[in-house]
Amino acid sequence: MTQSQTLELNTWSRGLRWVTSAVTLHQNLADYVEPLAQMIWPGWQASSWRARVLEVRPEQADVYTLVLRPSASWKGFVAGQYIELSAEKNGARAIRCFSISSSPAHYRRTGLIELTIREQQGGLITPWLKQAFAGGGGVNISAAKGEFLWPQGDKPLLMIAGGSGITPFRSMLQEAAARSSTRAVHLMYYARDAHSWLFHEEFQKLMLSFPGLTLSFMDSDVQGFISAQHLHDFCPDFVTREVMICGPSAMIGMARDICADAGSASDHIHFEYFGAAPLDMPEAADGSYVVSFEREGKAVATDSDAPQTLLDVAEANGLKPVSGCRMGVCHQCICQKKSGVVFNTQTGRYSDTGPGEIQLCVSVASSDVILDL
Amino acid sequence: MTKTAIPSAETLNAFERELNDVRDDFMSRIGQADADYIRKVIRTQRLLELSGRLVMVLGFVHPLWWVAGVIMLGLAKILDNMEIGHNVMHGQYDWMNDPNISSRRFEWENAGDGNSWKRYHNHEHHTYTNIIGKDRDYGYGMLRLSDDLPWRPKNLWQFISYINLSLLFQWGVAYHEAAAERIFVGKNKRRKDSSLPISRRQLRNDFLNKAGKTIFRDYIFWPLVCFPVFWWVFFGNLAANIIRNLWTSTIIFCGHFTEEAQTFREEDCVNETRGQWYFRQILGSSNLEGPRWFHILTGHLSCQVEHHLFPDIPARHYPEMAKRVEEICHRHQIPYNTGSFAHQYFTVVKRVLKYSLPDSFHSRPRAAA
Repeated sequence: MTQSQTLELNTWSRGLRWVTSAVTLHQNLADYVEPLAQMIWPGWQASSWRARVLEVRPEQADVYTLVLRPSASWKGFVAGQYIELSAEKNGARAIRCFSISSSPAHYRRTGLIELTIREQQGGLITPWLKQAFAGGGGVNISAAKGEFLWPQGDKPLLMIAGGSGITPFRSMLQEAAARSSTRAVHLMYYARDAHSWLFHEEFQKLMLSFPGLTLSFMDSDVQGFISAQHLHDFCPDFVTREVMICGPSAMIGMARDICADAGSASDHIHFEYFGAAPLDMPEAADGSYVVSFEREGKAVATDSDAPQTLLDVAEANGLKPVSGCRMGVCHQCICQKKSGVVFNTQTGRYSDTGPGEIQLCVSVASSDVILDL
Repeated sequence: MTKTAIPSAETLNAFERELNDVRDDFMSRIGQADADYIRKVIRTQRLLELSGRLVMVLGFVHPLWWVAGVIMLGLAKILDNMEIGHNVMHGQYDWMNDPNISSRRFEWENAGDGNSWKRYHNHEHHTYTNIIGKDRDYGYGMLRLSDDLPWRPKNLWQFISYINLSLLFQWGVAYHEAAAERIFVGKNKRRKDSSLPISRRQLRNDFLNKAGKTIFRDYIFWPLVCFPVFWWVFFGNLAANIIRNLWTSTIIFCGHFTEEAQTFREEDCVNETRGQWYFRQILGSSNLEGPRWFHILTGHLSCQVEHHLFPDIPARHYPEMAKRVEEICHRHQIPYNTGSFAHQYFTVVKRVLKYSLPDSFHSRPRAAA
């Protein structure tokens, strides 16, 4: 497309947006129609898909699996991806991200997907989901997202999982078995004790239909935290493998360092945080900054000793910005930054000083910041 | 004009505690029923709007269709502005975490830009209620409604100004903030310091953008869509806007300009405690009594007292809260201003007329009505 054509298209879509907002007072027609559509399809949302909860299957004392049937128009997923699940709890929409723990092959065959969820101690949503949907019910799910996928090619893999970080690997391994993959895959699965490995028997059975699969169940009670020694003992050729890591952030950091030190190429180390990325800020720690909420007409100083995300700063000062997952994936809390530098705890990058959209829940002020809030 | 003396500190403290208890009690009840309720109101509003626009077109079959369509559209606009827009933009439903029912995103069917309204209404009017010189909603810079302001000749015909303001109320709402910043008119009087969190240029652009959208929607887009009956739709929309303007203006005037609603001076609110603030909100506001449908059409501004005490509690709770607030006020001998719609409105008209004349005219004590 030529530049003038692009320009023309932009003018058109801008014009259409203006007309839509003038006539419906909403950014798009679907949002305006949403309350009417809900008369026919309760819970329908313009920006997501409905899914029925068919079963809540207990896995362990504090882990359960939700079996969902997404509506027919849902676009499917690739093994390793996650969805945002939103459910209404006492009138309030709660949004959480979960990796899909079943395989695309299973979805094609049955139309079902599974989410395996650990109940957060003192959590507001994960224990509630289990009870509220025990008898079935409807939730909303997003399109599948995420880049933590089965790598192309046939290079051997090392999968390192911690706790409920096993979920994307279960999806990938089931899918690989269904496709009769011959790839060599070693799974090192860390759990806090010998009773806490999820899908323990299932993985052992999977070895029958997936000859390349080898397993090391690691018991942190006995073997301790992940170490270089573990990798040398249980997967001696790990440097030549593509490494995939999913689990608590401390474990990811450790595993990455071990692999990098041993000489793995950094583009052969893939990882996914399970939970919010850690709030560690290189430099920028000394001195506090002023965060201004322009629409609210408020300005507050941040505490340099305890860096807070801008979402926390906003909420601590009585603002109620729209938010979702609080871990940087759902983009509900996107906000226009007028000026200032923010540090993104998820990407580990500093922003530009000029205007731009930022995610409040993973951004920490790194200079004085003015927000359109 | 009556001024109730500030009660003793003990009374105010007890008063504050009791009102806080009412707030906490109702806060803990907020939940599914509120979400279901506001969704139902929004649904009703959408249905009324779309069917009103449709029915109006049938005016060429029989004019009564047109009348019915106008009334439906007028009701839809009233619901949007009052029970939905006003309350959503106060953040009463932000806890739902629904981007379409959030104070940050919601835009109402009104010539006034929602963000501009939120600035002067939520902050200025609700914090400095009825403080002369601080709360620009007091008389809207047009009307003299108490002897706090000196009489000027233009006050003689302020009843006519009031009728004009009511007919064009949405434009008054739209221009309110810009007027204070002397945008478009009175450039030479522009204030040096501005408390605006945005630039004047931005304010001006937002005003023009929203005004343009409003005119486009009601007087260009919908008439053109129904082209063969362009003028039926054009005038139908005009009539629906007038219905909405008259209703909203009338309800809002009853909220703070009834005979017994009191005014305050800036020094009254220096170092104010929460109890004093509650006290001032109650003296400056007045309630209207009526059936449930009436409360809904006023956006529960019929419970203006409770709205000013608890602006971010979903408004459907106000009638229940009112019973407890009234009882607390009676116990502490704090005046609680309530009455029928007809009576309260009558006193508003009386007040507009009374202060259109110089004080010397009615300085002699007269029997209270």
